[in-house]
Amino acid sequence: MKTYLFFGFLILTAIAGTGCSDSATDPEDTAPADATQVLTDLATGIITPTYQDLDARAGDLLQAVTVLKNLPDEANLLTAQQAWKAARKPWEQAEGFLFGPVDTKGIDPAIDSWPLNKQDLESVLAQTEPLTKDRIDGLENTLKGFHTIEYLLFGDNADKKASGFTPRELEYLIAAAQSLKGETEKLFASWHPSGENFQNHLMKAGSPESIYSSQKSALQEITNGIIVIADEVANGKINDPFSQSDILLEESRFSDNSKTDFQDNIRSIRNLYLGQYNSFSGTGLSQVISTKNPTLDSRIRTEIADAIEAIGAIPGTFSEAIFSNRPSVESAQIKVRKIQQTFEEDVMPLILK
Amino acid sequence: MSSFVPQIALILTGTFLFSCSDDPQTDPSAENTDHLSGGETTIFDATSHAFSLPAPNLSAASLSRHIDGDAAFGQHFVTAPAEVFGGLGPLYNNTSCQNCHVRDGRGKAPAPGEQLTSLLLRASVAGSSDHGGPVGAPGFGGQIQPKATAGIQPETEIQVSYELISGSYPDGTGWQLRKPVFTLVNSYTGIPAGMMLSPRLSPPVFGLGLLEAVPSSEIIGRSDPDDLNQDGISGRPNYVWDVISQSVQLGRFGWKANTPNLLQQTANAFQEDMGITSPFFPKENSYGQPQDSKLDDDPEITGDYADLTAFYVRTLAVPAQRNPGDPQVVKGKDLFNSAGCKSCHTPQLKTGLHPVVSELSNQTIHPYTDLLLHDMGEDLADGRPDYLATGSEWRTPPLWGIGLTEVVTGTPYYLHDGRARSLEEAILWHGGEAEKSKENFKKLSKVERDQLLTFLKSL
Repeated sequence: MKTYLFFGFLILTAIAGTGCSDSATDPEDTAPADATQVLTDLATGIITPTYQDLDARAGDLLQAVTVLKNLPDEANLLTAQQAWKAARKPWEQAEGFLFGPVDTKGIDPAIDSWPLNKQDLESVLAQTEPLTKDRIDGLENTLKGFHTIEYLLFGDNADKKASGFTPRELEYLIAAAQSLKGETEKLFASWHPSGENFQNHLMKAGSPESIYSSQKSALQEITNGIIVIADEVANGKINDPFSQSDILLEESRFSDNSKTDFQDNIRSIRNLYLGQYNSFSGTGLSQVISTKNPTLDSRIRTEIADAIEAIGAIPGTFSEAIFSNRPSVESAQIKVRKIQQTFEEDVMPLILK
Repeated sequence: MSSFVPQIALILTGTFLFSCSDDPQTDPSAENTDHLSGGETTIFDATSHAFSLPAPNLSAASLSRHIDGDAAFGQHFVTAPAEVFGGLGPLYNNTSCQNCHVRDGRGKAPAPGEQLTSLLLRASVAGSSDHGGPVGAPGFGGQIQPKATAGIQPETEIQVSYELISGSYPDGTGWQLRKPVFTLVNSYTGIPAGMMLSPRLSPPVFGLGLLEAVPSSEIIGRSDPDDLNQDGISGRPNYVWDVISQSVQLGRFGWKANTPNLLQQTANAFQEDMGITSPFFPKENSYGQPQDSKLDDDPEITGDYADLTAFYVRTLAVPAQRNPGDPQVVKGKDLFNSAGCKSCHTPQLKTGLHPVVSELSNQTIHPYTDLLLHDMGEDLADGRPDYLATGSEWRTPPLWGIGLTEVVTGTPYYLHDGRARSLEEAILWHGGEAEKSKENFKKLSKVERDQLLTFLKSL
């Protein structure tokens, strides 16, 4: 095989007098037109719109905590808590593609560092320095973002009462929500064509405009992102509290939102795989896989649906279930691991073929 | 590499069933295995995950430990007492390994006026410690920590500005380089007279286990401290204190090769960078300073936790070279060799037996480093000796994976303080023993310079 290809290369070089093209030109590979469509749909139909939703929901959250500060009653607290969960959703659905500006600009750590630094939060709350967006921006990542806001809004045991807020906590909440909004704005702008247009790197993969040397590399990036989040959910988010029976290792325990977090992470995989997000329906990785191996394609669809369902089937809160419903947690974990294994062992080789 | 004749490529593909791919596994042009940068630990990935993947040859047990180590490497620490992951600070540079080594890659140089996120300053005063190392600056220790937990006064603030330096190639093409100037302001105590500072950018962390497994004899064998072969290049080994074996050992890691092994490197980073004590470094970095915590909680992590983290670093895969057969790359490699770059950026080394990770043993690797110290001239000098390294010597940094810097971490920054914004700038900063090679590079035509850079970007 190798020898044969070697001669092929010589002839190519001799005739074309050119370097190798990185783009997907293998007859067994995705037709370039397909890859272009898939990468364009993923960038413009899923990734950038997810960030757009995240930014919009972060705006709603800021609005809701502002209302809460003006009138800290139970109804406004509930609205603010729901706004936190609504903002959390697009973020978790964005965790299947943790590459690009979210990482290189330090946005992921600025909005989702865990655990929260409670000691320092208490110290800052005890100080008198005004709590502004700039002040929060300058604080350590473990003192801002989703989990700090979650702790302030829900309390240590999902038992926060509207009467329990100090004025200082409300001031912190608003500044932290402003800081979060600043980060989500930055993230959306970094992908949007009117901003830094990172989505162009996926759409133009293989051209000199892109940091991706080939469309195959860009598809590999997407596949890697899926593997990383499946691994994170199965072997980190579920496994750490589950294997050690320790709710302190549970990420969204203040809000009891862990099961929804996990499901939305898997939905992030689903969105990338099917090329669907909210009302958008385009082409996803499925397009690449189904033409090569339709059986695998239908298996993946089933595995994704099964995992989302199994997580939803865990009774009660995740904090309770790791003690009282361990088989259901384990069943969900196995299904998420299956997705990871399938993308590692079956999908990636097809993408790279 | 872009496809500038896609139609022809397609036609030929159809005819020969030939994939003109950037996957060196199937790249027919690879007459040898030089593109397998990490030997059997090589992965074929040119994405932002290129530095973050486990070596493909790990056993199930090793992979499992690697995955646990991955979590430790990414873990944020918080102020003690805490329910989980306490022990941060009181003084620190960052809260997790990953925050500096983003995606296991290079750090970022701060823009003017920006806070340092993945660049730190080592500090010392004249003299040498009991074991021949630098003497920490009174009041600051061996490293400046500009951050502190709430209610604690940081050591100082660090401000950065840049001097711009213009020059041009013999062919008239101009350039503008920038050199950082660091200033300490609002320090909690007086700056000791004669304090020396050395900026250090976070290096990529993949492939380091392989470098740990290169036999000392192979490294020392390449040294030429007195330049007996009169090629203008010395290459000196550093000998440093091994806190674990309590003995003097060959230095391999860090910008000045001041650390003998990865466990020490990791445990020292926990202590100095995060304020996390371990059995290997049981004292806080603020020990003896007013910021030291009064908590009796040391060591804050176990020796195994430090070892687990080191294990992760040891077992990261090395990305393969891309497009090794591309004619531009081939020409660039020839120019790299003929300009003399390979005298220090040694293309190939062989590992011996790794004491902990057998998967790293007996590998032929292509790191492009000799792991030796070289005088790099006054323009790059930090003026701060580190064990046997003088103020103008630096250890040759590996070049493997360097072409993936941008896809992994965004805007690239190179050299010990991140001053170079491109590989071309990095080359132009070379001096001292590398002066001749730099001059050779400058004399090349624009086309040839681009070929050499294309080769580097293929690594």
